[in-house]
Formats: sequence, structure tokens, C-alpha cells
Amino acid sequence: MDFLLLLGQALVNGLVVGMLYLLMAVGFTLVFGVMRVVNFAHAEFYMLGAFGAFLLVTRLEVPFLASVLITFALAVCLGWLVEWLVLKPFRHDELNGMIATIGLAMILQNGALMVFGPDPQSMPAVVRGVTFVGDLVIPNSRLYVVMFSLAVLAALYVFLRHSRTGRSLRAVVEDLEIASAYGIRARLVYPLGFGIGVGLAAIAGALMAPLFSVSPFIGTAPMLKAFIVVIVGGLGSIPGAALAGLMLGIAESLAGTFLSSSTAEILIFALVIAMLVVRPSGLLGRPD
Amino acid sequence: MPAPSASLGGASTDRRPRRAARILWPLGLAVAAAPFFMASPFYVHLAILTCLNVVIVSGLSLIARTGQLSFGHGAFVGLGAYGAVVTGMHLGWPFWLAALTGAAIACLCALVLGWVILRLRGVYFVLVTFAFAELVRLVLLDWPGITGGANGITGIPAAELFGFAFDTRHRFYGLALFCAIAALAFGLRLSRVPAGHAFDAVEQNAALAEASGLNVHRIQVRAFVIGCGIAGFAGALLAHYVGFVSPESFNLSLSISAIVMLVIGGRHSVWGPLIGALILTPLPELFRAAVNTQHIFYGAALILILRFLPDGLASLPARLRRPREGG
Amino acid sequence: MKIPLLAAGLGLALAATTVHAQQDTLRIGALVTLSGAGAAWGQGMQHAAELAADDVNAEGGLEVAGKRYKVEVIPYDDKYQANEAVTVANRLVFEDKVKYIIGPVGSAPVLAIQPITEKNGVIVMTLGFTPKALGPDKPYTFRPNVTTAEVSQPQIDWVVATRSIKKVGALFPNDETGQAIAKDLQAAYGKAGADLAATEFFERDRVDFVPLLTRIMAKRVDAIELDGNSPATAGLLVKQARELGFDGTIIRTGGPATQDIINVAGKEAAEGLLVHTPIDPSLPSTAAYIEKYDKKYKRAMNGFSPSFYDGTHLLFEAMRRAGTVDDTDRVRQELEKISGHKGALGEVSWTGKDRYGADHQLDAPFYVAEVKDGKEVIRARCTSGGCK
Repeated sequence: MDFLLLLGQALVNGLVVGMLYLLMAVGFTLVFGVMRVVNFAHAEFYMLGAFGAFLLVTRLEVPFLASVLITFALAVCLGWLVEWLVLKPFRHDELNGMIATIGLAMILQNGALMVFGPDPQSMPAVVRGVTFVGDLVIPNSRLYVVMFSLAVLAALYVFLRHSRTGRSLRAVVEDLEIASAYGIRARLVYPLGFGIGVGLAAIAGALMAPLFSVSPFIGTAPMLKAFIVVIVGGLGSIPGAALAGLMLGIAESLAGTFLSSSTAEILIFALVIAMLVVRPSGLLGRPD
Repeated sequence: MPAPSASLGGASTDRRPRRAARILWPLGLAVAAAPFFMASPFYVHLAILTCLNVVIVSGLSLIARTGQLSFGHGAFVGLGAYGAVVTGMHLGWPFWLAALTGAAIACLCALVLGWVILRLRGVYFVLVTFAFAELVRLVLLDWPGITGGANGITGIPAAELFGFAFDTRHRFYGLALFCAIAALAFGLRLSRVPAGHAFDAVEQNAALAEASGLNVHRIQVRAFVIGCGIAGFAGALLAHYVGFVSPESFNLSLSISAIVMLVIGGRHSVWGPLIGALILTPLPELFRAAVNTQHIFYGAALILILRFLPDGLASLPARLRRPREGG
Repeated sequence: MKIPLLAAGLGLALAATTVHAQQDTLRIGALVTLSGAGAAWGQGMQHAAELAADDVNAEGGLEVAGKRYKVEVIPYDDKYQANEAVTVANRLVFEDKVKYIIGPVGSAPVLAIQPITEKNGVIVMTLGFTPKALGPDKPYTFRPNVTTAEVSQPQIDWVVATRSIKKVGALFPNDETGQAIAKDLQAAYGKAGADLAATEFFERDRVDFVPLLTRIMAKRVDAIELDGNSPATAGLLVKQARELGFDGTIIRTGGPATQDIINVAGKEAAEGLLVHTPIDPSLPSTAAYIEKYDKKYKRAMNGFSPSFYDGTHLLFEAMRRAGTVDDTDRVRQELEKISGHKGALGEVSWTGKDRYGADHQLDAPFYVAEVKDGKEVIRARCTSGGCK
């Protein structure tokens, strides 16, 4: 294959995967920004999102788009509940909160194992076929995911910028003390922040369910990517997560297409650690 | 730490810790000695694993005592294991040298990584140790010439010290028990010397410690290196007991198990690693049928302990004693 | 500090109960993968052993030297990981005190447990594809299913000839099984006159193969080979390859996985797939087994299952002929001597001396099938000699 064509295809593949990482990472960094908690259970919400879409589509025959939205709503509610019941004592207790989310992850994953069993299940494809951009091939199912992710991100942007609750969230991320001085109610902001954060993970899971299979174990791999993205982009910075997500997707795709897949992975980890050494706050994070 | 309050009540409350000790020490001795008389190899196997876990979690506890949580502890166990196995089998070194080399490799990696990373705030340290652990796993997978790749290395010979081979379970239990006791003794000793007090000072308030002249960074690096070295040594032992290593044996679940054991046992107590290992090592084996329910219990236990007993089960006696003193 | 006492007390109680359960029960361990990749095979193996046990239990138990034994299958999950397999083997051999193990599924697990099972005289019926599993130094390990080594050459010869394939691409998991199969296939395609030109290794848990498939397709291959991958992974590969627009032939030279591939990739993508299948549903003995399986478990049987049903029955027959269930050395010797056994697969015997140094590989017929509208249609019948 023509080198330029291969390069082009690799870039396209990378952008598509990058969007998926982005979605996963944005929720994760939001949770950290609001609550200062590294949410190790983020993976399980991704997984629950995938199961939610899977069940709605295959058992209740709800159309895919509606399933994703319903799953989002359910995830936000679940996140709200979890934050209020389980994580409240750990607000701003970084270390303990993080360990508590480990416990949460164990409960969620094993609960899913007991209910659904360990076998991967597959969801019927939402769209079939491919789109050609010149000689470059994009599977339609992935194109679909990209478009939907963009829509979600646009909605998030509007929410954070232009709605009162959204602005309160951003204020809390910026500076908690001043935000409370202005009367922003922690009781509302924390559960909401957590709920939306994990809701984003659930959307990512729901969108990717038709692409890959659905099982209680699918959360770990995207979670690892989300960690990397958030480290590189800066903990708590949403634009940072967006930028880093795309960069990771492209880097991975290029390395995977031109080098071997395992070398690619090692290189990426090494780069991440190097990045932390040189610029610990990440690309767009705030140094502290 | 509990000593000051005990002296307030006078002689009667003073006797409590001593009375407890009089029961605990012989009991502990009996439990420790029991596996030597057990016939079933499976229970001796559990006892050995428990002792090795005590060593591993002691290492983690050391790092935690300076206020940092390592999420890659399993990787250092793995580095020690592979280091010992490769030097032992490929270079033919005797067990004690190979094991020390394994621990040294773990120390070296910890030194390099820690020096650079421990400048960062706690959260970043956690994420980097996590990333480092994955990196180690990938490197082990991708170097089949030396590490055997995904298949690992089989047929590791039994540990041998000056001609005495620890090739039966009872013999190896003796070795494992000795190491576990040594690890606990080290922890005990540390809490009584100035270096240990420095660790605690750093954990409780790093800024204050720095202001009072302690070099926080150097102290944390020291703890990290020693803690990882201990883990590496445990890895070497583990490898020579199981007779088999693979990258999957030292993955994230080992790091998470260590953290769970430490937190449930008690992060700030010398006995924390012992309690955590004692409870959490045999349970998965005894309840192998109900694996998933078990893990749900662990998750719930973790959250409950963090909420109500943040210093772990080791702090339970102190907590129970406190209501009776000073009203 | 009552906790250690409690644990010790629990332990003693459990020990007491296990000692009691030994009388007149023959326990067979099923050390198989029940979760994650490979679970389809593991479940097939476990159920096969259970069905064989049901057969003899229905007659009042396995009759050996005048005594009747109720057969009990004890399953454990090894999660396809070697270190889990070692822990489980420890438990089966020393705690549950079994002398016969069905499993493991994977190559790395079987190699990891052999130090324990060989040393303690435990007869193992494994699925592990690696050639290192069998040998004169491993007298207690047997393999009742045919592997890539047995089937690849005849099948590949046929496929290359009838479909005019010149260049082949393949993806393998980066583990013992994948590496062993990659080597076998490289040689087989070479001998058949084609070229396995593009090989990619990936980490076992990977689900996104688009960059790797892009690389392979860039080399303009006529066909993609799926052997060596778990059923679920194979499904994803088919799905993603077709999504990328690959319209060449997709071949799977081993490891029955058709149902799972269709589940994941859909009927359309799987159309025209050339697969290896170890069973011919038109054979009466096989049809009977399929029906039995369906009746008890109500799900589709995995293609490896009949091999282990036959394997378990061979074990029982060996015990009968040896007149003992405890002396595994005598059982093993009788097992090796059995030939022409009529099982679910048809008539089977042991073979393998030239390839492995010991006749511990079951020789059975196998077939090349094409997937048409979600069903396997047999196109060629094969033995180790060749396909027609």
C-alpha cells in the first residue's frame, strides 16, 4: 500500500479511537476536578453503560440512540446515589477516597459478574458498511460513534459554559473555597459532578458496545487509557483531556500501524512517565 | 502512641496491654508453629502464602508510613522474582545471591523512579506507580529471550542455602516464617528509632516536617526504596516456592490485594500487614466456590473500614479501650 | 485476636469433611477456563466430563473390580492463566485428592501444572495445543482433541489448492498457544505453496484490531487466518476485517468457534468462512451426543466437547481394564493400549509417537466446512493423511 495512504488510514483510525478515549477521560477528569478523587470505579461505570445499552437494545428493543440517552440518565442517577451514600465521607480526602473507589469497583464488577456471567456477549451492529473518503476507509459504525461523541462533547461544553449548574461545577473545580464563599452548595455540586462524570463513562461504554463485545471485564482497558490521557492532559483539565485523548489515539494508531503493537504500548508508557517528570501538571493542567 | 493515655488511669489500666500480651504471644507462637504439624500440604501452602504476603505488605506499609501509596507494588515483587530467577538460572548464581540481586534490582528501579516521582503530590505518585507497573508487565511480556515472555519461566529450582534445600513445604514454611517475622521485627524496630519517627512525622504533616529540618523528599525516597526492596525479596522467595513465574503473576491484582490487605489490617500499625495477610490470604482459598460474593464483601469491607475504622483492624483494641478511660 | 483461631478452626473443620467424602466416590477434577477468553471451550470440556459421568452413574456407578463408584466432577476456573492453574492444581491434587484431571484449556497452564501432576501421578486430559505438553517424559498427560499440528497440513493443502491462495495474513495472541500455532502454520502454508506473509502478535485482552488489520491488508493478502485465537477474539477479527472492507477469504484452521464468531460478527460477515470442524453432525454417534448435550444444558455445544466426552469414557474403560481407580500407573498403561474405541467422534485410537515421542494424542477424523447462512456445510473430509 502506498505509504501516504497507509499514513492517512492510520491517522483516521487514530482520530476515531482518540474520540473514544476522550469521552472516557473527560468524565474521569471531571470527577477529579470536582471531588479531588481518583475514581478507580470509572471503569465499572463504563462497563455498566455498555450493559445498559445492550439490555435496552436486545431485550427491550429500544432504538439505539434512545438507549444511550436512557443509559446516561440512569448512570447519572446511580452516580449521584453512590456519591451521596458511599463517597460523601471522603470528599476531599484524596487517598482514602481513592481506596474507597477501589472497594466500589470490586463491588460493581463482581456484582455484574454474578448477574451477567463472565462470557462476552455481542450486540448487533447499529450501522453497517463503510464510508470512503478518497481511498481511506472508515467503518460506518465508528463514524457513528465519532459523531455522537462530538455531539455529547458539544452538549457538555454548552452545559459547563452557559448553565448555572455547569458554571457552579466549573467554579468548584477552579477554587473550592471561593466557590463556597459565593454560596455554591456542596450538597448539590458533588453528587452532580460525580454523576455527570460517570455518566460520560457510561455513554462511552454504551457507544462502544456494538463495536466490541460486552462483558464485566471490558472496563479495565479503556480505564488504563483514561489514566494516561488524564495524566498527560492534566488532572482536572477538560480541554487537556480532550487534547491528550486525541493525541494518544493518533500516537497509538501510528505506532501500531508502523511498529509492532507491543513496542507501541511500551513507548507510550515510557513517554507518559517522561512527561510526568518534565511537566507533572500535564499539558494544560494547573501546576500546584 | 497509646502509651500516654494508659498512664493516666494508674496501675489498673496499665496492666491491660501486658495481660493481652501474655495471651497473644503464646497464641501467636502456637499458630505460627501449627503448620509444621499439619499433614495436609494444602494448609501448609496457605500458611506459606500468608507469610509471603506479610513480607510484601510490610514493604508497602513502610512506603505508606511516609504518606505515599504505591499502586505498583506488585511490579516490584515481580522485578525481584524475575531478577532472582534469571540470575539464578541463566547465570547459575546460588539462591541467596540471586534473591539479594532480585531485591537489589527492585531497589534500583525504586530509586530511579522514586527520586523523580516523589516530588509530586500523592495523587500523581499513585498514577505513576500504576503506569510503571503496567510498563513493567509489558516489558516482561515483550522480552521472551530473557523473561520467557507470556509463557513465563517454569521449572525454577527450590531455594537452597548452603546445601540445605527448602524443597518440601514444611521446610519452605520455616524459611517463609523466618522472613515474615524478620519483616515484622524490622517494622517494630523502626517505630522505636529516630528514623522511624521521621517517617511518621513526614506522613502526618509533610510541610511541618520540612520546616523543622527534615528532608521530606529524601526520607520518602528512602522508604520507597527499602519498601520495594522488601517486596522484591518476597518475590524471589515466591518464585522459588511456586517454581513458576509469568508476567500475569505480578499484575495489577497483586498490587490491589496488597493495598486491600494493608488498609484492612491497618496502615499505621506494625501489625497491620500481619492482620491483613492473615485474614485475606486463606479466605479466597477456603471460599473458592463463592469467588464473586467474596470480592463484593472485600469491597464493602474496604469501604466500611475506611469510613469507620480508618486505621484498620489493628486499631480496634485501642478503639475499644478508649471509651473506658477518661469517660 | 480470635481471628487466627477462627481461621484455624474453620480449616480443621473443612479438612475433616473432605476426608469423610472419599468412600466409593470417584472424583474427577475439571481444571478448565470458565471465564474470559476460552470459556466456551472450558465449559464444553466440563460438560463433556459431566455427561460421561452421568452415563456411568445412570448404570449405578462405574464398576471397577467388583466395586461400584459414583463419579463426581469437581470444576474449577483457571481463568486461562498459568498461575491460577497452578493454584487450582494444588487444590485438586492435595486438598480434593483427585487423581484424574480434565483440562486445562491453555498451553501455558498445562505446562505450568505438569510438574505437580506428573510428580504425583495424576492423569491429565488436556486441550493445550502446545507440542511440549506430550512426550515420553510426561507419561501421565494425554490429549483427546486434534490440534493444529495434526490438522493444519491436510486442511491447508486442500484450501490453498481449491481456492488458489497465495498470500496469507494472520494475527495471534502473544502467548504460548499463539506462538506455537504461528510456527506450525508458517510451515504448513509454506509446504502447501502459499506464503504466510503478514503475522501480527497482540496482547491477549486486546479488542481493537483495526491498526493491525490495516497493516495486514496493506500487504495485499488473499486470505486471513484466524487459528490460535479464542472464539470471542476470532469473532471480533472477522467483524472488524469485514468492516474495513476486506473481501478475501477468511480461514480458521483449528479451534471450533463458529457459533461464537457468528454471535459477534453476524451472519453476513461470517458468510463464506472456511473453518475446521472436528465433528460431523451426520454421524449417528455424534448426533446422539449433540442431542444429549442440548437436552441437559440447553445451549449449543462447542466442537471440542465430544473429544473430551470420549476422553473421559476412555479413562473409565482404562480403569475397568486395570481393575483399579487408585493405581494410576496401571490405569495409564491400560489407557495407552486402548484402540478402536467407539465414541461420539467415531472410531478413535491413540497416535503421535513420531511427532511427540509418545502415543498420547487421540487420532480422529476432522473436516473442512464452509459457513453458509450461519451453518457449517462440510466441504471436505480429512484424516492426517489428507483431505478430499
